[in-house]
Amino acid sequence: MQANDFESIRIQAESEAVTISTPQGLEEFRLKYLGRKGLLARASAIIPTLSQEERAEFGRKLNILKKALTVLVEEKAKTVAAKDSGSSINRIDLGLPGIAQELGRLHPITQVIDEICALFTRMGFIVVEGPEIETEYNNFTGLNIPLEHPSRDTFDTFYLKPKTDNLKPATKYLLRSHTSPVQVRAMKSRKPPLSIVVPGRVYRPDAVDASHSFMFHQVEGFLVDKGIKFSDLKGILEVFAKGIFGENIKMRFRPHFFPFTEPSAEVDISCIICQGKGCSVCGRKGWLEVLGCGMIHPNVFKHVGINAKTYTGFAFGMGVERIAMLKYGINDIRLFFENDLRFLKQF
Amino acid sequence: MKVTFNWLKDFVDIKLSPQALADKLTMAGIEVSAIEEKYGDYVFEIEITSNRADWLSVIGLAREVAAITGAKMKEPKVPKATSPRGKSSGSLSIQIEDPKDCPLYTAKIIRGVKVEASPDWMRKRLELVGVRSVNNIVDITNYVLFETGEPLHAFDLDKLSGPQIYMRRARPGEKIAAIDEKIYNLNPGILVIADKTKPIAIAGVMGGKESEVNFNTKNILLEAAVFNPVVIRRSRRQIGLNSESSYRFERGVPQEAAISASHRACGLILDLSAGELTLAKQQGKITSKFRSINVNNEQVNKILGVNVKPALIKSGLSALGFKVKAKTKNSFIVTVPAFRPDVAICEDVVEEISRVYGYDRIPVTLPSIKPQLTGHSSRDLIASVKNTLVCLGLNEVVTYSMVDKALLADFNLNPDNETVEILNPLSRDQGVLRPSLIPSLASRIAFNLNRKQEYINIFETADIYCWQAGKDMPVEAPALGLAFCGSRSLFFEHGSTKDSAGFLHAKGVISALFEKLKFPLPRFSEAPDNSSVIKVFIKNEEIGRVVILPKRLLERLDIKNRQVCIAEIRLDKAMPFTVNKKSFKELPAYPAIARDISVLLKQDVSLDEVIAGIKTQAGPALESVKIVDFYKGKQIPGGFIGITISCVYRSLERTLLETEVAPLHEKIVALLEAKFEAKLR
Repeated sequence: MQANDFESIRIQAESEAVTISTPQGLEEFRLKYLGRKGLLARASAIIPTLSQEERAEFGRKLNILKKALTVLVEEKAKTVAAKDSGSSINRIDLGLPGIAQELGRLHPITQVIDEICALFTRMGFIVVEGPEIETEYNNFTGLNIPLEHPSRDTFDTFYLKPKTDNLKPATKYLLRSHTSPVQVRAMKSRKPPLSIVVPGRVYRPDAVDASHSFMFHQVEGFLVDKGIKFSDLKGILEVFAKGIFGENIKMRFRPHFFPFTEPSAEVDISCIICQGKGCSVCGRKGWLEVLGCGMIHPNVFKHVGINAKTYTGFAFGMGVERIAMLKYGINDIRLFFENDLRFLKQF
Repeated sequence: MKVTFNWLKDFVDIKLSPQALADKLTMAGIEVSAIEEKYGDYVFEIEITSNRADWLSVIGLAREVAAITGAKMKEPKVPKATSPRGKSSGSLSIQIEDPKDCPLYTAKIIRGVKVEASPDWMRKRLELVGVRSVNNIVDITNYVLFETGEPLHAFDLDKLSGPQIYMRRARPGEKIAAIDEKIYNLNPGILVIADKTKPIAIAGVMGGKESEVNFNTKNILLEAAVFNPVVIRRSRRQIGLNSESSYRFERGVPQEAAISASHRACGLILDLSAGELTLAKQQGKITSKFRSINVNNEQVNKILGVNVKPALIKSGLSALGFKVKAKTKNSFIVTVPAFRPDVAICEDVVEEISRVYGYDRIPVTLPSIKPQLTGHSSRDLIASVKNTLVCLGLNEVVTYSMVDKALLADFNLNPDNETVEILNPLSRDQGVLRPSLIPSLASRIAFNLNRKQEYINIFETADIYCWQAGKDMPVEAPALGLAFCGSRSLFFEHGSTKDSAGFLHAKGVISALFEKLKFPLPRFSEAPDNSSVIKVFIKNEEIGRVVILPKRLLERLDIKNRQVCIAEIRLDKAMPFTVNKKSFKELPAYPAIARDISVLLKQDVSLDEVIAGIKTQAGPALESVKIVDFYKGKQIPGGFIGITISCVYRSLERTLLETEVAPLHEKIVALLEAKFEAKLR
C-alpha cells in the first residue's frame, strides 16, 4: 500500500458516506472500513514487511485516516439516528396526552389563608384556631364591646336557638362574628409573650350580593409582650402588605374606631390595579382598605387577666375574601361559595 | 353624612383647597369618600365612626378642622333670644314617665309665626346636605340639626289637645300617622311624645302628620330633648324607620347641645318668621359629668413609639376641646368635654394626640418576637389532609355551614333535639347548622352537573355541629367530606379507559389518605339496614361512612342518570389513631417467592374474608397478599366474579425453597375451594 493510497481511501469513504441514509447502511460502511476485517485492518497487514522508518510513517498516516473515518461515522450516526426516530413504526406521537394523576386544587380561600399564615409564621407567629360557636362573653364582652352595642343585635350577629330540653336558663350561644374571640381564649390560656395568628370562618347576617356574604373568612393576629408599641404594629403590617401584595406597595394608617383597640387604625394599601392613580376598583381614591388594627385595649387585658401595666400589645384583623378578590381580580364574592370547578381550577 | 365646605367655613378659617382638606380629614379618621361641587360650594360625603357622635354636626367637624390645620375655631354666635321678652304667658306641663328614657326635655312656645318658604341660602345648604326644603320653621329645625348635631322638632301648637306634653312608652294597639304619610303600629317598646289623648311623635325618630307645621300654622312648640340611645335604636328598628334624628340620638347627643340648639333655633325662628317667644320650659336636669384623666408624656411615647413634645400634647388636646392643666413639665390633667363621652382612659387621650400628630409620622419599627413551639396540632393534620387529597387529584370546595332543615330531613340527618337551629336565620335555606357535610357536597355536585361538568371529585374539611345529650354547649367537630360523580377518560400507554366514579374511588382515596396520615387502614362494612350506606371503621371505632345517594335524593337534587358517591370522615374520631412516630424496619435480605392464584368466586363471597382466610391459613411465611386483578362479564358464568390473588412468601432469616412454598400454596388453594367454593381457573 502506497502513501497516496491513504488519500484515495479517504476520498472514496467520504463520497460513499454521503449516500448513507439508514443505520444499517452506516453499520455496513463502518464494517467495510473500520471493522475487524475492514480495509484499514487489512492494510495494516503489510506492516511486518516494512522497514523501521517506513513503519513509523505508515502507522502515523493510518492513525490519521482511522481518526478521520471514526469522526465521519460518528457524525453520520447523528443524522441517521434523527431520521430514524421519525420514520420507525415505533414512533411516539408527542401530541398524545401525558399520563399522570390529574391535578387537584386547594380552594383559593385556603391558598390565601395559607399564604398569610406562612408569612406570619416566618416572622415568628404561631397559628391557633378556635370554635365557630361562641359565647357572648368571648365574642363581645371580653373584647370590650358594651352590652348595648349595635353589633350584638340580631341584625348583626347570628344567635342559636337554645336547646329545647334544657330546663336551666340557657346560655346564649352565637356564631362568632369575627375571629377576635380567639384573642380572648388564647390570652386566657397562654402566658405572654404571645404572637399568634388565627384564621377561620365568621358569620354575619348580611344579605348576599357581589360583595357581601353571611359567611366569610378572617385572619386575626396579635402580639403581646413588654414594650410593644404602635410603631411595631406599623412594622409588622408593612412586612405583611409587601409579602402579600408586592415590594412596591405603599401603605397608610388612618385613625379608626374599634372597641377592642385604642388607638385604632384602618390600613390602606396603594391600589394594586391602578398603582394609586385612581380606578373603579379603588373608587378613584388610589387606596384600598385591607385591614383594621390597633393597640389592644386595656379593658381586654383586664378581662383576660394580663397586667396592662406590664404588657402592651397590638391586634389586627382582615377579611380573607377581600384580599383574595384583590389579589386574583375576582369581582363577585359568591364565586367562592358556588364552587364551580371551572372557577376552582384557575387557582 | 354630608357637610359643605362653606358651612364649615362659618366656624373655622380654612386655607386649604377642598381636596387637601378632604385628605387631611381622612388621615385624621374622618374618611371623606366623595367630594361634589355645586352652587359654588363643595359637598363632602363623609363616613363617621360609631364612637364620634360629635362629628355628626358642622360645629363638631369644624372643631376637628381647627385642630388638625392649626386654625382658630370661630365659636357659634350667641343666640339673640333665650327667654321670653315679657312675662311668660300661657302654661305648659311636661311629664316624663321615666327619666331613663328621656333625661332632658325642653320646649319653647313661639306664637304668631309666619310660615313661608325659607330664604334661598338656607334652602340651598339643606339641599346640598340632602334635605328637602319644606317651610321656614321645619327647615330651621333641620338646619340646626345639621349645624349642632341636636335633632329638634316643631309641633303645630294648635293641633295638640291641650297644653300638656307626655314623654311615655306607647300603649299596646296605639298607632300614629307620621310625617312620611305612613301609619305605624306602636307598642310599649317604643317611646312616644304624646298630648293628653294620643301620640304626636315617635320620640327621636319622626314627628306625627297631624301636628306637622304647615303654611297655616300660627303657633308652634319647639322641642329639643335628649333620649336614651338604646331606646331610640330599638324603636327605630321595630318600626323599620331611619331618620337623621334617630341616627344622631342612637349615637348619643350631649345634654348641653339640646339647650344651645334650642336657643339657636329659636333665634332663627324669631329672625325669619317674626314670631314671639312666649314660654320656655325645661323638664329634667343636665346630669353630665366631666371626666379628668392623668396623662404624661412618657405614657404617650411608650404606646406610640415616638417622642411627642409636651407642647404639642397641650395645644392639640386644647384645640379638640379638652381642658389641659399641666401638673409637671411632662404630665397633665386632661378634662374631657361633654361632647366626648368616648374618651374615658389614658389610651383614648393618646389616640387623640396621635391623630393630631399624624399616624403617618409614627415611625416603622420591628419588635423582637420570641419563638414559641405550641401551635395548633389539628390544623397541621388538616393541612396534611388537604394537601394529600389535592395530590390525589381532588378539588377543595368551601360551602356554607348553614343548610336547609328540610334538606337534612331528606338525608335523614335531622334527629330530634340534635339539630342546632339559628334563632335569626337570613332565610330557611340557611336555617340550621349542618350536622354533616354530605348534603352540602351533594348540592355542589348537582350545581356542577348543571354547569355541564362531566367528572366531579371534590372535598371539604369543615366543622359540623350538633347538640349532644348532657352537654350544655353544642358540639363542634372537624369533619372531612369527599364526593365523586361522573366519568372521565383515563389514559394508558396502550389507550384509554372510561373511568366512572363510585364507591371504589372513595375507598381508594380514603385508604391512601389514611396511609399518608399514619392512621391504621380503614375497614369498610355495609350497614345491615341500609344498602346505600357503607360504614368506615378504624379498628372497632366507627369514624365515618360512604353513601351512594339513593334515587329519591338524586331526584330531590335534580340529578339525572348519574351515580353520586359521598363519604364523610369524622376527623375528631380518627385523629386519636395517628401514629406520630416514624421508624425504620430493616429491608429484607433474602428473595421472595411470588405465586398468583386465579379463581372464580360467587358474587356474595366477602373478599375481605377471603384475604383474611388466606393470611391465617398460610402463616408467617406469607409476607403479603393482595388482589391484583378483578373481572366480571361475558367470559365469566353469571353470579360469579373472577379474581387474581397475588401471594408473596418470604423468610427474614434465609432464602425460601420452592419445596417449602408449594405446600403452603396448596393449602391456600384447598381453603379457597373448601371454604369459599372457589373454582380454580
